[in-house]
This record gives sequence, structure tokens and C-alpha cells, in this order.
Amino acid sequence: MIPLEEIKDLYTNQLKHKLLGLERTRKNVLTLYIFAIVLIFVPVAVYFLFKNSPDVHFSRFFPILILGALSGVVFIFMAIKKHRVYRAIFKKEVVSRIVHAIDPEWSYQADACLSQIEYSSSDLFRTAFDRYNGDDLISGVIESTDFRCSELHTEYKTTTTDSKGKSRTEWHTIFKGLFFHADFNKEFFGKTYVVPDQMEKLFGKFGQNIQRYTGNADLVKLENPEFEKYFVVHATDQIEARYILTPTMMEAMVKLRKEYNRSIHISFSGSRVYCAFSFGEDLFEPRVFKSGVNFKDIETIYNLFMINATIIKELNLNTRIWTKK
Amino acid sequence: MNFSTIVIIGLMVLLLLIIISIYNGLIRRRNEVDNAFGGMDVQLKKRYDLIPNLVETVKQYVQHEKELLAQITEMRVKAITGNLSNDEKVSLDNKISAGMKSIMVAVENYPNLKANESFLNLQRLLNEVESQISAARRTYNAVITDYNNGIQTFPQNIIASYMKMTDKEVFVIPDGERQNVNVKGLF
Repeated sequence: MIPLEEIKDLYTNQLKHKLLGLERTRKNVLTLYIFAIVLIFVPVAVYFLFKNSPDVHFSRFFPILILGALSGVVFIFMAIKKHRVYRAIFKKEVVSRIVHAIDPEWSYQADACLSQIEYSSSDLFRTAFDRYNGDDLISGVIESTDFRCSELHTEYKTTTTDSKGKSRTEWHTIFKGLFFHADFNKEFFGKTYVVPDQMEKLFGKFGQNIQRYTGNADLVKLENPEFEKYFVVHATDQIEARYILTPTMMEAMVKLRKEYNRSIHISFSGSRVYCAFSFGEDLFEPRVFKSGVNFKDIETIYNLFMINATIIKELNLNTRIWTKK
Repeated sequence: MNFSTIVIIGLMVLLLLIIISIYNGLIRRRNEVDNAFGGMDVQLKKRYDLIPNLVETVKQYVQHEKELLAQITEMRVKAITGNLSNDEKVSLDNKISAGMKSIMVAVENYPNLKANESFLNLQRLLNEVESQISAARRTYNAVITDYNNGIQTFPQNIIASYMKMTDKEVFVIPDGERQNVNVKGLF
């Protein structure tokens, strides 16, 4: 585990050089995208502007327009291909180095993600997914706690048919962000779910009554008001939920929620703790439209990877004084 | 049957349904209280079962804490044989908690004991039980609060007074047990 200052040194001494080298590839990708867009957009615009004009003999220009648009499509493919190469080099030369600088023992796979079984074992999101994507799988051990974490995006689709009989498919996100799970330090047999409190925020005390009937299990009311403001707890066993969610644990979760300021779903199931941090944007990706040579991006990547260590530290997972060693 | 009769009968049926649902709700809350106390009792019994083992293991190593061990043994006997009320049980149990902690502090002076494998296992089991007891107490308090809210608010309070349901006291959790994750500091 290294502090941010050392990452800064790593950036100045190695990563900056790598990123400067990558700038040419980035500019190539960008140019290809711009070419592609212009080549597609201009013929389409010309066609719509002049298609009804009596002065223009469209038939003469038509082959040129088609050719332009087709070459635009070719450029799109080239840009995507080049972008993939750029991304692969970035992950290998930059992201992977940050991971190994944090802890040389951690393993990082840019194109792998947590399995669907791991995702389902958390039992956090019960909506059946039609699309399952993810990358940046990282796994390792911090002291006595093993963990796995990756970016995930799960979606389901709906198909609607309008009055003209035309069907339209829409994709809806179930979860997008960082998904983490680690060995929990206490033994338990049931399931406990800690999810963002939306009902109570919207409807106040009445919302709590609704929560009695929603959720994955029975409602558990806890005594920390700040925790209750952010989260709602459901569990299959009331005592077990409180055995897991000690006053210290509740404070830690509030701290995590405040520190990252985003919605966090947590579940305890089958001797593991699962945490899902929602993010709107794709993570650990190289920039295309702006220069990639800046420390801020590296710092963001470092902070995201440090979520693993932070959860383990805050939730005290390395404290092994109970029957489970 | 004219319209007003139908309305009156309808209202009476509705009233009856409301009363039944309130009655059932109150009974449910009362049962939850008993259930939560039972949950706590289970954990307390687990601790009573651990005490003789602990006393036996510690006795072989310590010289000066014999009296403390004798006291704990005595309290345990009282707890499992005596016909105690719930409040007495809780107060006795707080004393046992304090006694156990004193033993754990005293153990610091005996490095041989601290290295003993069976003592270490006992220590783990005790931590486990202590955490479970703490969780069971918090559950009990949450259920009691729910119960008290139920019988004090309108209109349940009317039916509750007919059912002779009275307020129940929540447990005051001793300071030492509030931060059960940091028990490590005690050893």
C-alpha cells in the first residue's frame, strides 16, 4: 500500500513519459473520429439540403455522396480499431503499473470482470439482466482479507410497439459502477442488505412503513439516525443483522457514503461482504478528446483502486478476534 | 333495507376490521418482545456454558485472581439456577460481563496463559458471544421501542389499555459494550 505522494513520483518518473508517448496514438484516434464524422455528416447534410431543390441535378452528385459516406464508415471502423489499441496500451502501461505500485501482489486483468455468479451471489440487484458487461478485474489480499473487484454494467431491455406497429427496444441500467466483494471477518448464516434509503427520503416516516413491505427481507430499524438517513437495512435475521452492523460498522458505512458521495449498496451473504458503488461514467479509461498527460487522471485511478483498501480498513475486516479466523 | 342502514352496517364492519387489525398488530409486537428476549437468553446461556471452561483454563496459570474466578463461578450458578426476574437477570449479567473483562485484563500479566492455544480459542468464543449478546440486546431494545410506540400512539393506546399492555423498559447498554469491535484493545 503506497501513499499518493509515491504515485506522484511514479507519474513524474515513468508514467508521464509513457503518456507523452501515447499522445501520438491518441491524436491519431481523434483525427480518425473527426474524419469519420465529417465524411458521414457532410454527404447526409448535402442530401437533405438539396434533395428537393430544382436547380441541382442530384443524380450527378449522388455517387460522390455515397462514396463519401461509405469512406466515413470505413474511417469509423479504423478509429474504433485504433482506439482499442490505444486503450490496450493505456491499460497495460499505465493502469496496470498503478495497481502494481499500490501492491505488487495484486492481480489486474484489464478485460476480465467479476463473474455473473459473483454478481448474483450478492443478491443486491434482483432484476434479471439481459446484458452483462465489465472490465478491470482486480484481486488480491490485504493482510488476512481477500477481495475481488471490477467495473460492472448490467442492463435489462424493454421492447415497446407504437401505434404504427414499429417496435422499439430500450436498454435500462440496473447497475453501473464498481463492484467489490471481500471475505467478512465474522461468521453468519442469513443475509443482510444495506441499500440507499430512497423511500424515507421521499415520504418521511410513511416511507418507513412502505419499507416494511418492500426490500429483499424483513426491515431492520437501527439506532444510528445518521446511518438511517442514508441507508435502509433488510435482513433475514434481526439479531444477526445487528451482530454484523455494530455501531462502529454503521459509522464506517456513513463515512464511506460521505467520502465517496455516491449511492452504495452493501450486502452480507455466504460469509462475504459485497459493496456496489454506482458510477455514471466508465472508469479506468484513457482520454481521447483531451490530453491524457495530467496527474489528475492518474490520481483518480489511484483513488478508485484504493476503494478496495478503504473498505477493508473502514469496515475493520482485518480484525480477526471472533471465531472465524 | 334503506341506504342509511347499509352505510351504518358498512361503517361498523369497517370499524370492526380496524379494531381486529390493531389488536393483531399489538399481539404481534408483544410476541416480538418475547421472541427478542428469548434470543438474548440463548446468547447469555452460551456465555454461561463458556464460564467453567474459562475458569478451569485460567486457574492453572494465575495465582492472585482466585477470588475473582470464584466470584464469577458463583454468579454463573446463580444465573442458571435462580428463579430471577428479567431485570435481575440483566443486572446479574452486567456484573458477569464486568467480571469477565477483569479476568481478561488480569490475564495480561501471564504470558504463558496468553500463549495457550485453548485459552486463545476461548477468547475467540467469548468475543463471539459478547458480540452476539450485544446484538441481541440491541434487537431487544429496537423491538421494545416499537412496542412502546405501538401502545402509546392513538388509536392503538385505547385498545392497548383494554388489553392491559403497559410500557416496557429498554436496556441501558453498559459503556464498555457499545464499541464491541474494539474489544481487541482489552486483551
